[in-house]
Amino acid sequence: MGEFLQYTVNGALIGMLYAMIALAFNVIYRAGRILNFAQGEMVILGGFLVWWFFSFDMPLWLALLTGFGGSAVIGLLIERGIFRPMIGQPIFALVMVTIGLMILLRGLMLVIWGPAQRPFPEFFSRVPFIWGPIILNQAILWGGLISLAVFAGISLLFEKTKWGLKLTVVAEDHQVAQSLGISVKWSIAFAWAISAVLSTFASIVFLNASSLDFLASGIGLRALPVALLAGLESIWGLVLAGLIVGVGEALAGAYLDPYLGGGGMSEAFPYILMLFILLIRPQGLFGWKIIERV
Amino acid sequence: MARLPCGVYFETYDKERAYVRTKPQTVCLIIFFILLILAPFFLSVKFTSMINVMMIVMVAIVGLQITTGYAGQVNLGQSAFMGMGAFVTSSLAFNLNWPFYLAIPAGGLGAGLMGIVFGLPAYRVKGFYLALTTIAAQIIFPILIMRVPDSIFGGSMGFHLEPASFFGIMLDNETKLYYLVMPVTVIMIFFAFNLVRTRVGRAFIAIRDNDIAAEMIGISPFYYKTLAFFIGGLFAGVGGGLWAYYIRYIAVDQFTLWFSVWYIGMIIVGGLGNIFGAILGTVFIRGLEEIITSLGPYLVDIFPTVGGGAIWFAGMNVVLGGAIILFLIFEPRGLAHRWNILKTSYRIWPFPYS
Repeated sequence: MGEFLQYTVNGALIGMLYAMIALAFNVIYRAGRILNFAQGEMVILGGFLVWWFFSFDMPLWLALLTGFGGSAVIGLLIERGIFRPMIGQPIFALVMVTIGLMILLRGLMLVIWGPAQRPFPEFFSRVPFIWGPIILNQAILWGGLISLAVFAGISLLFEKTKWGLKLTVVAEDHQVAQSLGISVKWSIAFAWAISAVLSTFASIVFLNASSLDFLASGIGLRALPVALLAGLESIWGLVLAGLIVGVGEALAGAYLDPYLGGGGMSEAFPYILMLFILLIRPQGLFGWKIIERV
Repeated sequence: MARLPCGVYFETYDKERAYVRTKPQTVCLIIFFILLILAPFFLSVKFTSMINVMMIVMVAIVGLQITTGYAGQVNLGQSAFMGMGAFVTSSLAFNLNWPFYLAIPAGGLGAGLMGIVFGLPAYRVKGFYLALTTIAAQIIFPILIMRVPDSIFGGSMGFHLEPASFFGIMLDNETKLYYLVMPVTVIMIFFAFNLVRTRVGRAFIAIRDNDIAAEMIGISPFYYKTLAFFIGGLFAGVGGGLWAYYIRYIAVDQFTLWFSVWYIGMIIVGGLGNIFGAILGTVFIRGLEEIITSLGPYLVDIFPTVGGGAIWFAGMNVVLGGAIILFLIFEPRGLAHRWNILKTSYRIWPFPYS
């Protein structure tokens, strides 16, 4: 029983990390209908920035702040340089350009920082947190709790403040937003900046006191099913989807993999789940159902 | 539509739709085929092997062009489909001693069936959601190969394959392999060129442009989307079968998601919705790859942090990623469109317009 609880709680917290990355993904999708395949690379880029600033002997908090600031600037640059010239292009081209961005970012990170593994600074203590029968990694625990706070903050932003409501209008329809006098361009730029900061935060939780190299960007592909399961417009839905995927993955890893030999079930689980959900409810659990007209 | 020299008139629609429309074009085509057949005799072995790999990839890319460029179904799993073809081909050749002329088509069918399975969600989900289900194919593929008993697909060890033999001739060097790879590639490309102007090809284009409108005029999206995935998978499988006989050692790590992503890049650079674009894109990107490989040592001097092991991967990613973005921003119709402009301006020279 203790073991089961351990796996469940751990899985739930990892699920919150996935939800965080999926949130970074959804924020961009809501603003620009851009499905950002480069999300994993954005996470690792944030990690590299924080590590890089930290390696200049900056204090931890300063490295953190400059890391957030730097990634926001990079997010803005990506929007200005790549996505603004693409406004008005078909969605297909927008998806393709994020694939190009994914390839380019990975190549650039390799050229700038090289393929070596690097020790990532320790932001959260590595001493495990013990609560009854459950032993938890502190980074994931704090990360999960902070994620919940961030989710509350973002959903307040989108639903209560005037600014956020403008962003929601942009999510609904670009033409309506434009005719209400809301600048679609700036909303998309703002979304990229927020998303880059969220990605950096996720990378700090994910990489805390472990090693950093470009292969870690696989986390982006593991978070994609969470975004789809929740529905790309949803925010709170991500928490539930993150919990489902995280717990399911942990339990599949713990109870199915040993019987199958060689493992792998835990990796495939989110995707198999996603395939089923998409077949039954293509817009995800909480996505907006958009009626298409010819 | 490319403009034709003045004085060329057509009497039937069929003649106008033909790919080879004038006598000089026929002559050029014949000369091209003669050169293609004689190529290994005047090219070095290194160059022949480059062309072999290029043509194998080209088969898969042309298939991807049909699924993605013509039918509009984003497919980020082409590399997995290719792997499926390679594994089915080698399994049949290795376990059942099938000759290559049966094993390669069977590999194509195997990959086509896999394409159907992962293309079925296309009926319910669209566009980028679909891209994700094909990524699922890419993630499930290695697990599937590892999961079945080692005697069928070789498991984590992969397969070592005997060279293909054709009436007692062992196809074991680059020149001989060229004569296996080249005819198959030519046949597949011929098939693709003709497929896209049949009823099926037009249905694909209708679905790409607007699948709801296509359904209104009686084109079944379910049937044609599934068919598009089947055909794309078939091409990938044939490419994979050729690859299995070419490399003679296959393992799951030769068919990663990253290659699927590069393949999409190739059709973007070449031009979406154009078979010739797929060919141009493959040649262009593979050419860049070769250049980066040969420049590798110099690049290591310039960027010492990258190191010799990763310079190829890093350089390739920067160049290809940059190329995809630049093409999508400045020339979304790709190299094929530029090529058409070039041809037209040559024909109407010295006038700027006709």
